[in-house]
Amino acid sequence: MNLENFEIIYKENRIEIKNKQKMKEKLIEIVGDGNVSIDKIDLLAYSRDSTLITLNWTIQGKIAGLPDFVVWPENKAQISEILRLANNEKIPVIPYGEGSGVVGGAIPIYGGIIVDMKKFNKILEINDKDLTATVETGINGMNLERYLNAKGYTSGHIPQSLYISSLGGWIAHRAAGQFSTKYGKIEDMVLGMEVVLPQGNIIDFKPIIRASTGPQLNKLFIGAEGTLGIVTKATLKIWPFPEKRALISYAFPIIEDSFNATREIMREHIFPAVIRIYDQFETERHFVDIEQAKDKVMVVFVCEGNKKLVELEETITKEKCENNKGINCGEHPVEHWFETRFRVTETSTMPPYKIVFDTLEIASSWDNAAKIYHSVIDSVNSLKGILIISAHVSHFYPNGVGIYFTLGGVPPKGKTEFEFYQKCWDTTIRGVLDAGGSIAHHHGIGINRSHWMEEEWGKSMDIMRNIKRLLDPNNILNPGKVYTHIWKGSES
Amino acid sequence: MGIFETLKKYKWMLPLIGKADRETKSILLKNFRQKKKNFYPEGEYKADIDNLIKCMLCPNMCRFDCGTLQASNTESMSPAYKARIGYYLSIGKIDPTQPENKQFIDLMYKCTNEENCKVWCPFEFSVVSLLETVRDDLNDKGLMPDYCKGQIEKLNKTKTIEDYNIFETFKEKGIENIKTDGNDEVFYFIGCEMMKFPNVVNANIALLKKAGIKFSTNLEKRVCCGAPSLTIRDMETSKNFAQENHELINNTGAKVLVSDCPGCVLTLSERYKNVGVKIDTKVIHIVDFFKTLIEEGKLKPKGELPKDLKKVAIHDPCLMTRNLKDITSIRTVLKVIPNLEIIEPIYNKEYTHCCGWSGTVHWADQDLAIKEASNRIDELKETGVNLFITACPLCELGLAYGLLDNEKEKYKILDISELLLKVI
Ligand SMILES: Cc1cc2nc3c(=O)[nH]c(=O)nc-3n(C[C@H](O)[C@H](O)[C@H](O)COP(=O)(O)OP(=O)(O)OC[C@H]3O[C@@H](n4cnc5c(N)ncnc54)[C@H](O)[C@@H]3O)c2cc1C
Repeated sequence: MNLENFEIIYKENRIEIKNKQKMKEKLIEIVGDGNVSIDKIDLLAYSRDSTLITLNWTIQGKIAGLPDFVVWPENKAQISEILRLANNEKIPVIPYGEGSGVVGGAIPIYGGIIVDMKKFNKILEINDKDLTATVETGINGMNLERYLNAKGYTSGHIPQSLYISSLGGWIAHRAAGQFSTKYGKIEDMVLGMEVVLPQGNIIDFKPIIRASTGPQLNKLFIGAEGTLGIVTKATLKIWPFPEKRALISYAFPIIEDSFNATREIMREHIFPAVIRIYDQFETERHFVDIEQAKDKVMVVFVCEGNKKLVELEETITKEKCENNKGINCGEHPVEHWFETRFRVTETSTMPPYKIVFDTLEIASSWDNAAKIYHSVIDSVNSLKGILIISAHVSHFYPNGVGIYFTLGGVPPKGKTEFEFYQKCWDTTIRGVLDAGGSIAHHHGIGINRSHWMEEEWGKSMDIMRNIKRLLDPNNILNPGKVYTHIWKGSES
Repeated sequence: MGIFETLKKYKWMLPLIGKADRETKSILLKNFRQKKKNFYPEGEYKADIDNLIKCMLCPNMCRFDCGTLQASNTESMSPAYKARIGYYLSIGKIDPTQPENKQFIDLMYKCTNEENCKVWCPFEFSVVSLLETVRDDLNDKGLMPDYCKGQIEKLNKTKTIEDYNIFETFKEKGIENIKTDGNDEVFYFIGCEMMKFPNVVNANIALLKKAGIKFSTNLEKRVCCGAPSLTIRDMETSKNFAQENHELINNTGAKVLVSDCPGCVLTLSERYKNVGVKIDTKVIHIVDFFKTLIEEGKLKPKGELPKDLKKVAIHDPCLMTRNLKDITSIRTVLKVIPNLEIIEPIYNKEYTHCCGWSGTVHWADQDLAIKEASNRIDELKETGVNLFITACPLCELGLAYGLLDNEKEKYKILDISELLLKVI
């Protein structure tokens, strides 16, 4: 069968591999016969990640990018050899976790070798005294969490993509879970890591609690999106499974009231595990049955941990909400959230109607939060073809928040779905930057945001490019992501 | 999700659509009207396109619990990808008639039917229920894979899933055949695969006798339940088996049919409906029946188990816990066995993992099925117990494949009836 039948979206600059068979043999020498494939059935399977526009392409029989090889290494030495070979042959290598990334990070836009990390799926050690787990990075999030739960622990990292993402992907994108306000984000959890560098050297950052040992080089690899190294192992913090949970919800007249209440909670150094503010659109969408929340802004809280502490957190949380015009809606909305939080159906229902749909998360200080919220809603709303733009706020800090926008619409006449999609993205990001926000809170850069990196980072982007060049002089590790302008963008 | 829930779920969109400008509304309306024209196959087809699309566009919310994906560690085995290929085969984007596309057809059969995907599915369907509709179209086009044709040939020739009629081997295996007099209390419907485990069959017969049940086995007339042909979707063959079994069951006069195979129970009680046959006799798993006999005091466990059998880990058959929704029978029976220590593996009850030997994958890709079996064995070993108890002949077969040769001395797999008999 010929995959020529499938239009490839990212086809410009695809590398030409002269002798594929020879290359395959070399890869087989490294990882063994069963761990290399050039079969169409495998190449097609790795032709996309979960970037939402790729769903529109999937139903239309188009593919985002096509790899030339898929390999499944079983140990770090093999990864090292693959990278050495790729350097010799100047072939791109794309690390692949579970493919749930939503910014195109794992799409093989130039072709090359997909290094699927799924065989790195072992839990190597749980240390009860230190409260750490040492785990291989290809492990699926839910399989890690289920195992920890069975042994009486939690990692505290519960992204909505728990079922569909890997530890390596979390580290690569600096992921954040739904319970992040208490347990922190992935960068707060990783104590140690093993990384294979682009030229094949293996470095082991031993687990450290905290150190005063010069610049913390290990941090460079959290958020590197598979461009500076392939992470093979990590030591994570874990927690005893919480003793008590309190479920709290309040409806507020307007989003500013909910911001005030949650900001005051943070100022008290109270960290509910979950806080989620839903704007009026999303309250209508997710809590249609809650009468008190009609036309209001719903906020759900989960406090968990030690019983006495939870009781205290609950009291203060309620006090702050009531001081800010909150109406107590009881436990039911939070139970409803628990029941539905992994029920993802929109990705399946929109593309058959050619609706372009996506979610974008950004970060803001408290000072700018309301401004960013309103300016993005207004500017996206003014786009031709837009049907939905709404937001919820799901990550909280004493100094600010992570806001998560959901948008959808149909391309106006004369525009392709991809063009419309890019326009929606760029309008959102423009709004965020103009109002003083940061362009990504936890989904990462990948392809979709790379053309905004200069504006986000300013001159330090040059330093980042230099680091990339230093570690990866042949630019073989996940090229085209983070540092380049593949998308061009609808503005630039 | 039912139509009512769907409407309710998307009600919030209506005011937004109402607010859209005229051009946007008209584009949207056109997209709604042209959905079928744009994305559905032309002509006659059986594939469940609606749900194949939903599944292929889902971010794979069940992936972590898909046995074949976990065994193969490749995206190509992921549930949403299977649906995607099913969709492309159905719309002709991948031409199923081209010999070089055989791999894609084979993928439609690489499933154990274990249905844990359904537990996590936001749409509450199982992937195999979609793949079966793709298989229907492949069959109609004469594209049934050879390994399936081979099974159908065996079924038609020997009336069992073996190259010979396995029920006829009862004498050499020392299994007593009890013929019906047309007035049985119970028909003990032995699974074809259970004939490979005469110790289990004999234990079941002994237990039924000890409980004073009037029953028959009718091995001289027995045929397979037809589950394999239903899975392969050869409905003609399936119907023949359903009708033959219907008649045999009726002739026993039994009020209850008990089987040692959850696959047979499911087929007789649920799946025959797909070929228009209804079994009026109550059909239950034999462990469920033993549970009742114990509760009624007709089976009274007493005495001690030998030392090496005193600690067990339960392997729940997926067909039993997820399809028949019975997580209690095995536990109730084990709990009455004096001084038995029962250890639960991490994945148990409705979250059990498959032994690899169900569905079509062990024909389509035996190595993959064995890998799935060995994954399950690893989970059972993690309990620290050396004795695994199950209640399904396919599980006994599959789990045994999962053990390495040098482990077969150390680890034992027993059917629950073998254990129960030791204390009755
Ligand atoms: C429905 C849905 C809900 C989501 N919810 C959340 C959420 O709540 N929070 C959140 O943070 N994100 C969320 N995401 C986004 C996504 O799940 C995360 O970005 C996740 O971290 C990606 O992990 P993955 O294993 O799927 O990575 P992939 O998509 O396979 O890869 C992502 C990037 O990581 C790189 N990579 C993968 N493994 C390694 C490795 N071992 N070493 C180096 N680089 C590697 C890849 O090259 C790529 O650049 C969601 C996505 C979806 C579809």
